[in-house]
Amino acid sequence: MISYLIATSALVIIAAIAGLALNLQWGLGGLVNFGLFGFYMLGAYVCGLFSVWGAPPLVAMAGAIVLVALASAATSLISIRLSEDYLAIVTLGFAECLKLFISYEEWLTRGTLGIPGIVRPFAAYVPQGYGDAAFLGFAVLCLVVVFAVFERVARSPFGRLLRASREDPAVADTLGKNVLVLRLKTFALGGAALGIAGSLHAFYYTYIDPTQFGTIITAYAFMAVVIGGRGSNVGVLIASFTVIALLEGSRFLIDVFPVLDGSQLAALRLFLVGAGLVAILIFKPDGLVREYRLRATRS
Amino acid sequence: MAQLLFNGLVTGLLIALPALSLSLTFSVLRFANYAIGAQITLGAYAVYLFNVPLGWPLLLSTAAGMVLAVAVGLLVQALAYEPLRARSSVTRLVASIGVALALENVVRFFAGNSPRGYGVEIARPLRIAGLRINQEQITIMLSVLVALVLVWVVFRFTRLGRAMRAVADDADLAAVRGIRRGRVVAMVWVLASALATLAGVLIGLDATLDPQMGWNYVLPVFTAAILGGIANPMAAVAGALTLGIASELATLVMAPHYRAIVAFLVMAVLLLVRPSGLFGKQWVAK
Repeated sequence: MISYLIATSALVIIAAIAGLALNLQWGLGGLVNFGLFGFYMLGAYVCGLFSVWGAPPLVAMAGAIVLVALASAATSLISIRLSEDYLAIVTLGFAECLKLFISYEEWLTRGTLGIPGIVRPFAAYVPQGYGDAAFLGFAVLCLVVVFAVFERVARSPFGRLLRASREDPAVADTLGKNVLVLRLKTFALGGAALGIAGSLHAFYYTYIDPTQFGTIITAYAFMAVVIGGRGSNVGVLIASFTVIALLEGSRFLIDVFPVLDGSQLAALRLFLVGAGLVAILIFKPDGLVREYRLRATRS
Repeated sequence: MAQLLFNGLVTGLLIALPALSLSLTFSVLRFANYAIGAQITLGAYAVYLFNVPLGWPLLLSTAAGMVLAVAVGLLVQALAYEPLRARSSVTRLVASIGVALALENVVRFFAGNSPRGYGVEIARPLRIAGLRINQEQITIMLSVLVALVLVWVVFRFTRLGRAMRAVADDADLAAVRGIRRGRVVAMVWVLASALATLAGVLIGLDATLDPQMGWNYVLPVFTAAILGGIANPMAAVAGALTLGIASELATLVMAPHYRAIVAFLVMAVLLLVRPSGLFGKQWVAK
């Protein structure tokens, strides 16, 4: 039971970090990142490969953060000057191509065999049997750091400018702000957080292969942002720890419903994620928590 | 070389139908429909349902499958997109990814993950003028051409087509002139779902059916539509053919499983150099 709780919490924390990254890019900046899972996957693979090549875990993680931030910035450059529709397809294209590349370039990534034996941070200092608990502590620490940084960003002049450019890029542009650089920075910063999330994924499973990464990671992040309320970091946390925890927990419902087999239950869960996303967009468009400084003016 | 060009033509025709469907929904409804892949999958399995478990002939099953897929398309429009009508196009974009996930998993729930095929005989490929041509390729070419001509005629010469073009040009002006938007939108979904279903059947004939089949086409389909200028339905077809031939020719220098990467590169270069598409002029949203 304890191990089960730890497993669900670890996954929820990783999803929360990915959600915070999307909240910065889409919630605050209005930049739709449909290829979120690709950046996450890149983070996991960079971290995993560095680790297998002998880099200390924290160095591997730092490498993942830097590389994913760079990749995000480069990808966003392709289309960032066009409307959101284009950014969405470009990021999705990046993600799908990266997945293909990782699946086939066996000399680098071992293809579908995956990369085993990724070392967790501080593994040498953790007594036997407490590995998962220690990892959980580390993940919580990462979440706190990401949350604190992004919350600061949201309340800083940079965050204000970002919200302004989301509402109307032309106005921000006219006021002498460079919207292109702003969006580039936003994408890179979000990418850094996705690098952290991907690294945690690699550390948690200690084994990665291409099948672990797919649109569902993107969908969870959108769920978290939409339910939490676009632009609200607190909302993303609340959404992650309730809805995503429930969804993740439902993996284990298989013992309760013996009628459905595993893949049917998985399909049902993903169906609920998809339908739920649409339903929230329709019925609760503002989410649970309002964005910072977005309040109805009291008369 | 000629063989590659021919294969590229067939690949392009396969992409053409969903690309047309995509740019049709985009030009009238003003949002990028990411559920296009799931619609392909759903259509392919709807036809499969009539073809294999019920044992109907493929042609009849295709018609029945189209009716089913159109019904689902209209249902999705009524349940998901209509309530979001007044909201930003990005909201509908995100909603369409939810729709995609939901539809694909309806298929997974009932049909499972293992690949399937239609109940058709495997025929020996023909050899014409040194080209190796499969029976399926002939079926694909003929059906796509017939579908394209039909859509073109509807678009160009009927009242409905004129209404669609009017709404696409300026929805408010069209409404002032008494065009009922609801009917036009419904017809767009009917056409879009039917085209996606036909594409699904043809892709299923060309390869196999699996729940991922449509999703794998999302990237090429979007690239083709952007290539043509996304709000210009007929140009999407030209974009699809260009992309099909380009991706086949690329197999000379790249491994064949990297076709999606070709599509991505084409799109990246295009967006940097000529974002309005090869044939489009207007509608570059900034």
